[in-house]
Amino acid sequence: MPRTKAILIDITKCIGCRSCEQACKQIHGFPADTEAHLSPTALTVVEERGDRFVRRMCMNCQDPACASACLVGALKKTDLGPVTYESSKCIGCRYCIVACPFNVPQYEWSKLVPYVKKCDMCYARQVKGQPPACVEACPVQASIVGWREEILEEAQRRVLLDSKYVKHIYGSEEAGGTSVFFITDVPFEKLGFTALPSQAMPILTANALGDVPTVVLVGGSLLAGLYWITNRRKHVALAEAQQATDYTTSTKSERS
Amino acid sequence: MSTLSVSRLSMPKFTLWRAVVAVIFVAGLYATYARFALGFHASTNLADAQPWGLWVGLGTLCGVGISAGGFAIAAAVYLLGFERYRPIVRASVLLSFLGYLTVCTGMMYELGLPWRIWHPIFMWNRHSILFEVSWCVMLYTTVLSLEFSPALVEKIPIPRLRDFYLKWHHELLIGLVLMGAVLSSLHQSFLGGLYLLAKGKVDPLWYSQYLPTLFYLSAVPAGLAATIMAVYLCTRSLNARVDPGILTEMSQVIAPLLYVYALFRGIDLFTHGGAARIFAWREETGLFWLEIGLFVIAPIILLSQEKIRRNPQHLYFTCSLVVMGFIANRLNISVTAFQSTSGFYYVPKWTEFALTLATVTAAAVIFHYAVLYLDILPKNRVHEASKEDVTWMVTPNLIGGRA
Repeated sequence: MPRTKAILIDITKCIGCRSCEQACKQIHGFPADTEAHLSPTALTVVEERGDRFVRRMCMNCQDPACASACLVGALKKTDLGPVTYESSKCIGCRYCIVACPFNVPQYEWSKLVPYVKKCDMCYARQVKGQPPACVEACPVQASIVGWREEILEEAQRRVLLDSKYVKHIYGSEEAGGTSVFFITDVPFEKLGFTALPSQAMPILTANALGDVPTVVLVGGSLLAGLYWITNRRKHVALAEAQQATDYTTSTKSERS
Repeated sequence: MSTLSVSRLSMPKFTLWRAVVAVIFVAGLYATYARFALGFHASTNLADAQPWGLWVGLGTLCGVGISAGGFAIAAAVYLLGFERYRPIVRASVLLSFLGYLTVCTGMMYELGLPWRIWHPIFMWNRHSILFEVSWCVMLYTTVLSLEFSPALVEKIPIPRLRDFYLKWHHELLIGLVLMGAVLSSLHQSFLGGLYLLAKGKVDPLWYSQYLPTLFYLSAVPAGLAATIMAVYLCTRSLNARVDPGILTEMSQVIAPLLYVYALFRGIDLFTHGGAARIFAWREETGLFWLEIGLFVIAPIILLSQEKIRRNPQHLYFTCSLVVMGFIANRLNISVTAFQSTSGFYYVPKWTEFALTLATVTAAAVIFHYAVLYLDILPKNRVHEASKEDVTWMVTPNLIGGRA
């Protein structure tokens, strides 16, 4: 896999100023009102958990459930890291929303032509070498962006050097690893993070999909074989009946 | 709806069942207006915590599952040589065909951007179970339309065209039935496979890595039960003549299929740890037992009675339990199982019920007319129907309104 971009969010540094939210809304042309939860017009929000601020956004998984779910391939993991959404392909089946373990994608339920909305780490900006708008707007560098390995190293460095941190980087292995990491000094479960297995989600369906050729070949030939037997039996039965009638007619004619 | 059988004999009349059908269609029309002119928000109670609701759970999952009878009976007759079931092949194929048309119609409402329903034909993602399902459903609906086509083509009054088509159809039929069986096996199980990806969101009472197998094992008995119900109603009010022994024999197939399902489900629950929850009191547990009671326990007990197997009416009742239990299972997986983990309580809006009911009713009305005017089932010879016969046929309790 080529080098990918990642964001590190240090919860101990966030002051809850919501500059990231505003920057995100501005760049997408959404109304500037502050929203409490993720919505089609709030692709990142700062949620208050006790006296900590937890920013939520798409985790841009390394092996995303949404991209494996999307039947038309509208959602894609790009080589650069962000998981993008090509709205012109979307048919509105909403399987991505069912599949996402982080409950991130938001559907435009009240629109007549509804699309899925989620953060794509400002893919268009990152291609041009610019940082995501939210990261750029952060006045205290609670969010930083960089190459995934380097960002992960930085997170490890902070967690190891300072004893206040919980000894875990959320996102380093959750759901097979993500492109957004969180570090904190308050246990993750108290901040509303869901504990997830380290297995990438698409593996759950890979086995079933792998069975397709077997079902088609084995099932198909089994049925064809059974049909051959059925057919053969029918022919044999017919031939025997024919013989029997031939025999009776011939014996009758001999007698007469 | 069965009162429509009168139309051949007299002018259309206002009857109770026609009124019911009319009300359902009007409600369906309003739901159509609400869905397309006002949007999801006005026509459904769906939300991001419950992105798939009644239209998927009942319309798609149950619609496809209950339509499993067509492939099973066609395969039994044409591939395995169970000639005994030949008289009901057409009825079961028609039932499945209409079932799939209902599902496709429902899909137009369910999809956010239904005018792009053709996208999966050209835009592929072979890692997606839904992609496989969409292709299987497209192909199998085509197969069903071809399997059913002779019933229409044989009514064409141009002998050369008719015979040409029927000759070719005969040549291809075995291939179609074989394809139908393989395609059905794939997507019946893959509908369960859709939920594999939602691990963590599906309550352990229903989540299993063997969801595809469980979906397949439950769809076949449900499909056969629905076929028995439909055939019974046709003999009861549409003048069809089918040996009740056929239905009895089918029920003797359903019982072991339910045993297999129960065994598999039980073992699976114990190995996956879901079993710890079957007696823990929660709303979900109640709905779990409702499903198991209707789909497994009650039918197995009832079908073990010779008296019930031999009485078509009792058999009909038992089969309706199987179908209801099947519906409970699919709704539990698609709604109940999500609600316990998300905490979001989804109750479908009335327009969601209205639309699903309207599409099913439309299918029932078409089935009714097809049985009346096409050669779907063997019929009793009708001598000039007397006035008494007509009254007999409109009596509501003799009518297939329970379908």
